Amino acid sequence: MPPSQDPFYAGLGQAVRIGTDLLAALIVGGGLGWAVDTYILGTNPWGMVVGLVLGVIAGIRNAYRSAMRWPESPQEHERKG
Amino acid sequence: MEESPLHAFELHNYIPLSIGGMDISINKAVILMWIVVALAAVLMIMAGSARRLVPGKLQNLAEMLVDFIRGIILDTMGKDGMRFFPLIASLFIFILFCNLLGLIPGSYTVTSQIVVTAVFACLVYGLSLVMGFILHGAKFLGILVPPGTPGWLLPLMIPIELISQLARPISLAVRLFANMTAGHVILGVLFGLAISGGVLIGWLPFAFTIAMNGLEVGIAFIQAYIFTVLTCVYLGDAFHLHGHDDHAH
Repeated sequence: MPPSQDPFYAGLGQAVRIGTDLLAALIVGGGLGWAVDTYILGTNPWGMVVGLVLGVIAGIRNAYRSAMRWPESPQEHERKG
Repeated sequence: MEESPLHAFELHNYIPLSIGGMDISINKAVILMWIVVALAAVLMIMAGSARRLVPGKLQNLAEMLVDFIRGIILDTMGKDGMRFFPLIASLFIFILFCNLLGLIPGSYTVTSQIVVTAVFACLVYGLSLVMGFILHGAKFLGILVPPGTPGWLLPLMIPIELISQLARPISLAVRLFANMTAGHVILGVLFGLAISGGVLIGWLPFAFTIAMNGLEVGIAFIQAYIFTVLTCVYLGDAFHLHGHDDHAH
C-alpha cells in the first residue's frame, strides 16, 4: 500500500480529515440548536446561535484531538516504549 | 454540446423494481457494487486458495493487504480489536475497490453517492454505540465527560461532547462522499475543457486530467485508509473508555 504510507499522502489525508471534522461538528451543532428552537422551546433564533457556538467549539476540539492522536511520529513511538 | 459536470453522477434505472413501496431498482451504482463484490471476492479467494509457503504475485498482494489492515487495527485498537478484523477488512477492501473502479473512464463511483457512505458510517457508529453499552453498561455515558473535567464545567462540556460525538458519523460519511465527488467533478471539468479546447490548446487540460487521475488514485487509497482508521478509532473508543487519553493499556 505505498500511497498511504508516503508522508505526503499521509499529511494530505490528515489535512482533509481535519477540515471535515470542523464542518461536521458545525452542522450538528447548528442543526441541534435549530431543532430545539423549532420543535421544543420556540426560542428562535437563540438556540441556533448557541448551537453554532457549541458546534464551533466541538469542531475545534475534534480537530485538536485527531491532530494529537494520528498519525504517530516514529519518535513518539520510541518515547512510549 | 453543453453538459453539467454533475451529469456523471446521475443515476438512471435500468430495471425498475419495487417491493412494498420500496424502490430497489437496478441502476449503474447497484451493478458496479455487484462487480466490486464479485471482483474482490474472486481475487481474495484466488489469492488465498494457493496457500503456498513462498507466495506468488497474487498471494503476495493479498498478504500485504491483510497485513496492512492488521497493522491499522493493532495500532488503534490493540489486540482485542482483532475480533473485528473481518468487518474492517471487508469495509476497507470494498471502499478501496469502489474508489479504484470508479476511476476507470465510463464506470461509476459508488462511493460518490452519500447514501452508500452514510449507511457505512451509521453502521460503524451504531456498532460502536451498541458495543460500548454492552461492554460498559450505563457507564458508557461517561464518554460524554472527558476525564479530569471539573464539576462546574459539566453543563458546558456535555453538550460539546454530545455534538462532537454526533458529528462523527456525519464527518465519516461526508468525507468519503465529498472527496470522491469533488475529484470526479474536477476530472469532468478538465476533460470538458480538453474537448472544447480543440487540439491547439486542449492538450493542456488533457495533461492535467491525466495528472489528476494519478492524484485520484492516491486519494482513493487515502480515503479508504482514513475510513478504516476512523472505524477502528471509534470502535476502540467504545472498547476502552477514555483509554486513548492516557495510553495506560
